[in-house]
Amino acid sequence: MENEVLTYDALVVGGGIAGEETALNLAKMDYKVLLVEKELSIGGKMILLSKVFPTLDCAACITTPKVSETARHPNITIFTGSEVKGIEKKGERNFEARILRNPRYVKEDACTGCQECEPVCPVVVKDQYQFDLVGRKAVFVPFSIANPRIAAIDIENCSLCGACEKACPSDAIDFSQEPEEKTYQFKSVVVATGYKLFDPIKMPRYGYGKHKNIITSMQMERELAPTRPFNTILRPGDGKMPDNLAYVLCTGSRDHTVGNPICSQVCCMYSIKQAQLLMGALPMADVTIYYLHIRSFGKGFNEFYETAKGMGVEFVKGKIGKISEKENGNLILRYDDIETGQVKEVEHDMVVLSVGILANDEIGQVFKTQKLEFDDYRYVKQIDELKRPAMTNIDGVFVAGAASGPMDIPDSILSAGSASSEAASYLAEVE
Amino acid sequence: MANKAPKILVFSTEKISDPAIDLAGLLKMHYPPTVYSIPLRCSSSVKSRWIMHAFEQGFDGVFIAADGTDCSYGESCVDKTAAIIAQTHEMMKAKGIEPARLKMAALCSVCAEPFVKHMKSFYEALSKTPA
Amino acid sequence: MKNKIGVYVCHCGGNISDVVDVNKVREEAEKIGGVAIAKHTIFACADSSQKEIAEDIKNLGLDGIVVASCSPKLHLFTFRAVAERAGLNPYNYVHANIREQSSWAHSDDKKGATEKAIALVRSAVERVSHSVAMEPVSISAKNITTVVGAGVAGMKAAIELADMGSQVYLIEKAHYVGGRTSQWGELFMPGETGKSVVSYLYQEVNKRQNINLFTGAELVSKKGSVGNFEIEVKITPRGIKKDADTSGLEKAIQVCPVEVSDGFNFGITKRKALMNYHPGQFPEIASIDAATCTQCGKCAEVSEAVDLNLEEERITLQTGSLMITTGFDPYEPEKSEFGYGDYDNVITLPQLERYLELNGQDLVVNGKKIRSMAYIYCVGSRQPEGENKYCSRYCCTSAVHSAIKVREKVPEMTVYHINRGIRTYGKQEVLYEKSSKNGDIYIQFNEDTFPEVSRNGKHTVVKVNDILTAGKELEIEPDLVVLVTGMIPRKDNAIGESLKIPRGRDKFYNEIHPKLRPVETTIDGVLIAGVCQGPKNITESVKSSLAAAAKTYSLLKREEITLEPIMATVDSEKCEACDKCTTACPFGAFEFIEENGKKVARVIESNCKGCGMCLPVCPTDAIELSGYTNTEIEGMIDALTESDY
Repeated sequence: MENEVLTYDALVVGGGIAGEETALNLAKMDYKVLLVEKELSIGGKMILLSKVFPTLDCAACITTPKVSETARHPNITIFTGSEVKGIEKKGERNFEARILRNPRYVKEDACTGCQECEPVCPVVVKDQYQFDLVGRKAVFVPFSIANPRIAAIDIENCSLCGACEKACPSDAIDFSQEPEEKTYQFKSVVVATGYKLFDPIKMPRYGYGKHKNIITSMQMERELAPTRPFNTILRPGDGKMPDNLAYVLCTGSRDHTVGNPICSQVCCMYSIKQAQLLMGALPMADVTIYYLHIRSFGKGFNEFYETAKGMGVEFVKGKIGKISEKENGNLILRYDDIETGQVKEVEHDMVVLSVGILANDEIGQVFKTQKLEFDDYRYVKQIDELKRPAMTNIDGVFVAGAASGPMDIPDSILSAGSASSEAASYLAEVE
Repeated sequence: MANKAPKILVFSTEKISDPAIDLAGLLKMHYPPTVYSIPLRCSSSVKSRWIMHAFEQGFDGVFIAADGTDCSYGESCVDKTAAIIAQTHEMMKAKGIEPARLKMAALCSVCAEPFVKHMKSFYEALSKTPA
Repeated sequence: MKNKIGVYVCHCGGNISDVVDVNKVREEAEKIGGVAIAKHTIFACADSSQKEIAEDIKNLGLDGIVVASCSPKLHLFTFRAVAERAGLNPYNYVHANIREQSSWAHSDDKKGATEKAIALVRSAVERVSHSVAMEPVSISAKNITTVVGAGVAGMKAAIELADMGSQVYLIEKAHYVGGRTSQWGELFMPGETGKSVVSYLYQEVNKRQNINLFTGAELVSKKGSVGNFEIEVKITPRGIKKDADTSGLEKAIQVCPVEVSDGFNFGITKRKALMNYHPGQFPEIASIDAATCTQCGKCAEVSEAVDLNLEEERITLQTGSLMITTGFDPYEPEKSEFGYGDYDNVITLPQLERYLELNGQDLVVNGKKIRSMAYIYCVGSRQPEGENKYCSRYCCTSAVHSAIKVREKVPEMTVYHINRGIRTYGKQEVLYEKSSKNGDIYIQFNEDTFPEVSRNGKHTVVKVNDILTAGKELEIEPDLVVLVTGMIPRKDNAIGESLKIPRGRDKFYNEIHPKLRPVETTIDGVLIAGVCQGPKNITESVKSSLAAAAKTYSLLKREEITLEPIMATVDSEKCEACDKCTTACPFGAFEFIEENGKKVARVIESNCKGCGMCLPVCPTDAIELSGYTNTEIEGMIDALTESDY
């Protein structure tokens, strides 16, 4: 760290698809970018998805080239496992940010990602990158396509037994590492902090967390992903392959009772996509989607919806009231069938809750001198949405991707493009 | 020749079907080790003479792992690859090589399972066909 | 042929060496002709190993290296960089994939995996021995972008490109800027109207020295390739002299005898051939519509500002890239589609938008005060029978929003929304909620039973089966029927044809990839943004145009474009100029030249993407792709069949 650069043209907060796209665009214009990601790998949520609509190409396949391009670009410096603690605006094109780099307890240059440490580690905890479907060790490579693909020690759960240290062929384990906080200077800031997923625990009538065979759509993404934990689709309760699945759309969206009145914009499409993938993975299975309105509005989306209908995915216009569990683990869905006006009950052997997306408003605390404004739903406010869509209330601070509102991957990429352009214009004024 | 394992040459593509073959490995899905792949830029760049050369050199089967509609160079590659296959089939017939020894299928970048299935069935078919 | 090849076989911890006998692979590699050194290493990718390889290259003067390890998708660039650092051309390094395609795939057969690894290393050595050093091709480029279409997307892109540091030509076919947005009234964003957005953007365009705006201008042809296009632009004069006294123009418009349907108001009003397009138009000057002007000269008699010499001009511009932002046409219903054209109280959503602008504080259509109205959604979109299978994205929100605007004018209005599932996605949901709270009535049909519009005496009747009330057949007699028409690609596709921009299933211009390259086309240097790529609302159009601006600017900023050297080459001795390669190439990378008195094909380097589609179609086998030559591929095949395992 001797010649560490402390001054950059842009600070990009968040290393998901929007942050990467913004960083790459700026880097290609010869601006120096620092990309700060709080997770152990860049790639955001997209890198953990299975295939993506409406083209059905694999998320990993299309995101990993972008991830490695970002990681390789000479104008981009990446801090993973790091947090932006405070941003102060000192003047025009003059931001000062404190950044905390959490230790991995693994030497980044030495670790080759061979995973020899994992089998010897005695600690098993839930794997957050598999959305708790399976376990991982306290020392672990986050996931097979992580970038950087190197190990980290989850110190909170580590028993400090030292087994990994002995097993490591390249002496990369280093328990002496300490958190490091430093101040850096920037001319501009791009907020690309993405979104949070709705936690269906907040809707007790669905029984998520209580009924074993109800999972979230993100968990289903992992079951369907090429780097999936089970290599097939299983219901978590008993490891049985499901043959009659239900999707509950608008879980946590368009719902005042959970404080989120807006539409999440992506759930219809990802559910239709998962249904299509399930028809392929489990050819005998039935998939029913319970919906209020199908919102397949983007390019090629409506055609994709029609394809799903043609494949035999069942669409039921209905509002789910309550889900209860039978002794055999199957689930009874009580719902208001809108087309007949009757309340019905139906049995499924697995239920997927199509959880909505919520604002990730943590970034709000980071801005110290001038408050970053949010909209009514706690997304970063676009103060001139029609004419300058990436502009925030703080001059020189821009927003990219789902940090400004729910959006799908193609829209996030365009939004990142707009943040790059607007930031580049802002930076060009200095020159 | 009778006891020898059939050799299969796969012409894959760098961006699409070769990643699927890699994924098969990553998922430890097994297929015969006498399957070799040469990644090309696009499946529609395969020359008939290369395919014929492979047969002359002792490959028992050639498999074109085509890009399908995912091809980054445009969807026309599907038809173009099919045309090359048809043309090569004619050349094979002229040389007395069973056309069934040249197969093609579109593989997406995560089509690991289909790839392994194709290899297994092609291998089996070739084992039964006398050289 | 090379004789100082280095081979490095990786254990990958145990990932490879637990299955493959790496030492045997190394021994076999050592025996191959041309191999100077063969080593095995625990981790080829580790820093120490990279240094060792680099030192070997320098100390032993290696002329090629083979690394046998994991998939090249992971470390191709790592080892290319190692080669480069040590002074070896990166294309003199070849990778052998013995993990994903050997040790992992064949962990059930150690002997088979080892034999396969040996064969893969042999074929990599064979390939590297024929490899040639290649340098990235670099061409000079002009930091100039031509934006075609001065709607919101085009104007916004021009402004941002100018601010980032490009020269911009902004060309607009009409005599006025603003495109479709100028036809729209109040927008979803509070306080914004189509007019306010257009007026802001026009002023910003005008402020910038490095934007040249041409109105009445059409791109007619394009030559050259990315970085160095030359385009021809046809300019239709507006018929008004510059700096002349325009005081007589109002009178001149009055005397113009031509009366045609006014496209700006979607045909609900008439206009003259000499006209002001609309109040708030930019540029503010009147213009003559050359297509309908009869050159009668009456206007010139009353105003000296009129110039009836409407001869078009042609100009040539040099540009580094082209950005197409030509927008859309609203779907025009067929005659009798839901009564359109049969009954004068059946109008389209864009027409309603104009009525709302022209009407003031009430809604009056064809002299009748409207007190009840029915919107019919998805007209021209999501057609089960017709060819528009797509959803037009903007219309649900737009119709719901217009209903809210209508109620502000006429609070007692009864509003029916006869829809196929309201798609007010994202934050637009609040509009749907608001309209429902306003008392609007939502009725839903599905594609099996479309609503029918008929006439019963003086009343217009809409019959619909409402799935929200168990399929009950409803009859509504609204004063006004509004067909919520979608977006269709511009009927005039001259620009698309002249630039050969690919179109998707929906006939909108097609991007290379919706996620990886959403604003680029298969033609390098030709970008698409806004609705010409697919339906979008204003914000989405602006975002896409800014994304395109970012791409263009990063491409042209350095005034130099670097291309990967993997390209096709033509052996002119073998070439018979048959034209098959030009047909096969999707990128227009072939041209014909005279060489030694013979017509031969030649590869235009700046267009070639190295896909190789041209290789198999050449009847004389005159085309080779660097890195994939006959010698290399057939050499690899030979090496793979060397052992008779």
